[in-house]
Amino acid sequence: MKLEELLHQTYGFTSFRPGQKEIIEQVVAGNDVIALLPTGMGKSMCYQLPAYLLPGSVLIVSPLLSLMQDQVAQLKKMGEKSVVALNSFLKREDKEKIWQSLNQYRFIFISPEMLVQPFVKRQLEQLNISLLVADEAHCISQWGFDFRPDYLRISEILPVLGNPQVLALTATATAKVTHEIKTYLKIDEPFVYTHPMDRINIAYDIKRFENTGEKLQWLQDFVQKFEGPGIIYAGTRKKSQELAALLNGSGISAAYYHGGMEHQDRIFVQQQFQNKELEWVCSTNAFGMGVHIPDIRHVIHYQLPTSIEGYVQEVGRAGRDGKQALATLLLAPGDEGLMESIVLEDLPTRNEIYEVHQSNDPKSLVSDGIVRETAYRVIDYWLKQLSLEETYKQIEMLQQEKVKQAGKIKMLVTITSCIRQYLIESFDQEMTQKPESCCVNDHIDYEAFELRNETVKKRDPLSWQNRLNALLPL
Amino acid sequence: MLFDELVIAIMKTINLERTLSAPYHIIKGKKSGQTIQDVGYYKLHPYFGLMPKLEKKVYDQAVKGLINKKYIRFNEDVIDLTEQALTHPLPTTSLNGWKYRGNEMIFFNRLSLVIQTLSHTSRSINKFDPIDNSEDIQGWVKRYLKAIHFRDLESVAKLKAEILDSLQTLEVSDGHKNALMQRLSGFGWSGLTWEQIADIQGIHVLDARLAVIESLHAWLETIDEKRHPLLNGMKENIVELSSLTESTRRTEKLFKEGYSLDEISSKRQLKISTIEDHFVELAMNDPLFDYSAFLSPELYREITDISKAEQTKRLRNIKDKVPAASYFQIRLALAIKEEVK
Repeated sequence: MKLEELLHQTYGFTSFRPGQKEIIEQVVAGNDVIALLPTGMGKSMCYQLPAYLLPGSVLIVSPLLSLMQDQVAQLKKMGEKSVVALNSFLKREDKEKIWQSLNQYRFIFISPEMLVQPFVKRQLEQLNISLLVADEAHCISQWGFDFRPDYLRISEILPVLGNPQVLALTATATAKVTHEIKTYLKIDEPFVYTHPMDRINIAYDIKRFENTGEKLQWLQDFVQKFEGPGIIYAGTRKKSQELAALLNGSGISAAYYHGGMEHQDRIFVQQQFQNKELEWVCSTNAFGMGVHIPDIRHVIHYQLPTSIEGYVQEVGRAGRDGKQALATLLLAPGDEGLMESIVLEDLPTRNEIYEVHQSNDPKSLVSDGIVRETAYRVIDYWLKQLSLEETYKQIEMLQQEKVKQAGKIKMLVTITSCIRQYLIESFDQEMTQKPESCCVNDHIDYEAFELRNETVKKRDPLSWQNRLNALLPL
Repeated sequence: MLFDELVIAIMKTINLERTLSAPYHIIKGKKSGQTIQDVGYYKLHPYFGLMPKLEKKVYDQAVKGLINKKYIRFNEDVIDLTEQALTHPLPTTSLNGWKYRGNEMIFFNRLSLVIQTLSHTSRSINKFDPIDNSEDIQGWVKRYLKAIHFRDLESVAKLKAEILDSLQTLEVSDGHKNALMQRLSGFGWSGLTWEQIADIQGIHVLDARLAVIESLHAWLETIDEKRHPLLNGMKENIVELSSLTESTRRTEKLFKEGYSLDEISSKRQLKISTIEDHFVELAMNDPLFDYSAFLSPELYREITDISKAEQTKRLRNIKDKVPAASYFQIRLALAIKEEVK
């Protein structure tokens, strides 16, 4: 059967999106594949469809619980029933049930921490796994902005599974990261698919201000003038709350979103944004995953992003519908310093490394607040590979790398040449097409953006009886 | 009941006898001997375990506010309420934390997914992003929907009528009922965050949370097996069969098999004091608890008489008057005295 037919029969789509077919053909032919596809380009189809042609199950390693939950939910929404997610939040009763029937699932999602547990290994050993998918494979890079030490241990599990073929998926990888993926996943001659990372319908703008007051004023004017929906990325949780309050105060429906909120509240904000009950979401970098809104017109960075990769990923949430979208970066004196300190803040300190090295029960250092959770994961990994001195050195190198990353962001806001070109070249790609409305250093067509329609008003809250009627109108 | 009122309600009963953090442990539902005993001694059952995820810093902030408003005097050792707090009128409440232990949210999560599903399917929309992604809620709701024939619009109308009928008679404010409905979502209508609800009503976020919990406790009591069969179905297994903690239940089992306190301690590899906590919890929960293995009837009477005469439940004060009794015996005697209904 032709792949198109299978796609239509299984998922009801009539054609592939760019890149999908090339990747799927290679996977089905039994090759290892590294696929660089921008978010929102249907990465998951690259293993969903092969699952119907390969004899065994597909094991998907997913780095973030929220990401895993979203992928499972999306698969189920497509009508896929043979899906299971293994993560540390599963209840004991559920886990036992799942272990017994594990071989019946077509798609098995697993977190990297669980993957290397001896018990889990023994369970997986008995399965027939045809394909291992490393999702968000850039997390394997120790130099990357999203390093997850547990990802390095995927290679340990490959022999246990009988060395199945590997599909590494990522939205963002430089040549250096691609090389690391090859090394750590032990895939020597993969087929590498690189989708152009540039999004032609996004224009890149930078606004400079004398002080924070001006910046805030500009933001208020902007959201009054232009129609959403839009995301404003703030550097901190507190700032996201402040900005949402500011917008709400001037009659714009906005909400904040960050990792410190209760799970249900976060879902509600996503829902509201999706339902167009909100024009703007003010958020930390926690917002984005699980948000499937094609018509986001604006992404504003209120503070400087901390890496080019992160920036491109956040900006890429705009204009999935292919229509004009605008990415605006706001810059005031002091922002660069703030960004640099945020970048380095996450790194383990010398003292943290020392404490973990000395301790008999290093995990208690995390609960006692002596060592931070994120720092602990990195330290723990390196101390298992290296001596104390070497670990110090390793972290110092990491620090230099982070400074370099921060330097690239500083460069982004300094250059007078094309920003699109600069971003593309950061990913070791070449610019093939330059749109008319391109970037602040060339030309941006602001007329392309709809002006805010002020007749749209916030909905008044309903009485409980009326709300029940609205939910169940019969 | 507002959050400040909740704190004052608890503090009034333990004024001058417990520390400022004791109410926090009660509200959070800490399963330690001390907290569980306090619930029994002071009849704090309505307030136990109302907010299992309450953060200490959030509670501390509320206490600070009460100090600033001159409800609490600064005192390093114990809660020290001012006249203003002691005479502050408190509203009646439907809260019943001891009975529901946070499980009211299981009921509500089921209801949320049921309503969201029906809101879509009754409009013939079969695909939507579920509000709850947990396997157990989704699995439960799937079974429930099948059982009530959810495709049949009559079932949907019946459930809606049950909700209207039961909420109509509920003795909580309309603000409470609004908050409850605002946490539900459906086609074209998203749920509201706690902060959004609080802003609409001009209350604190904690008040909004408490309003929903209070409404749910009242609602769960009102839902009637005969008049509201569809809603009643969602109450499945949410009231704990026994109010004992898991560990205490195991101690009880061994005790009934004839093991002594010391033997249970070594068998379970738990400290003597922990096992003592379990017996105090047992005494509190079981009106027929036989204390003769630990305490003579004479000593029991002596302790309870002193407690009454001196109007205190502070262990140290009683111990001063009844030196022959151990702290465990005093705790046990006080627990027995305060029978749980």
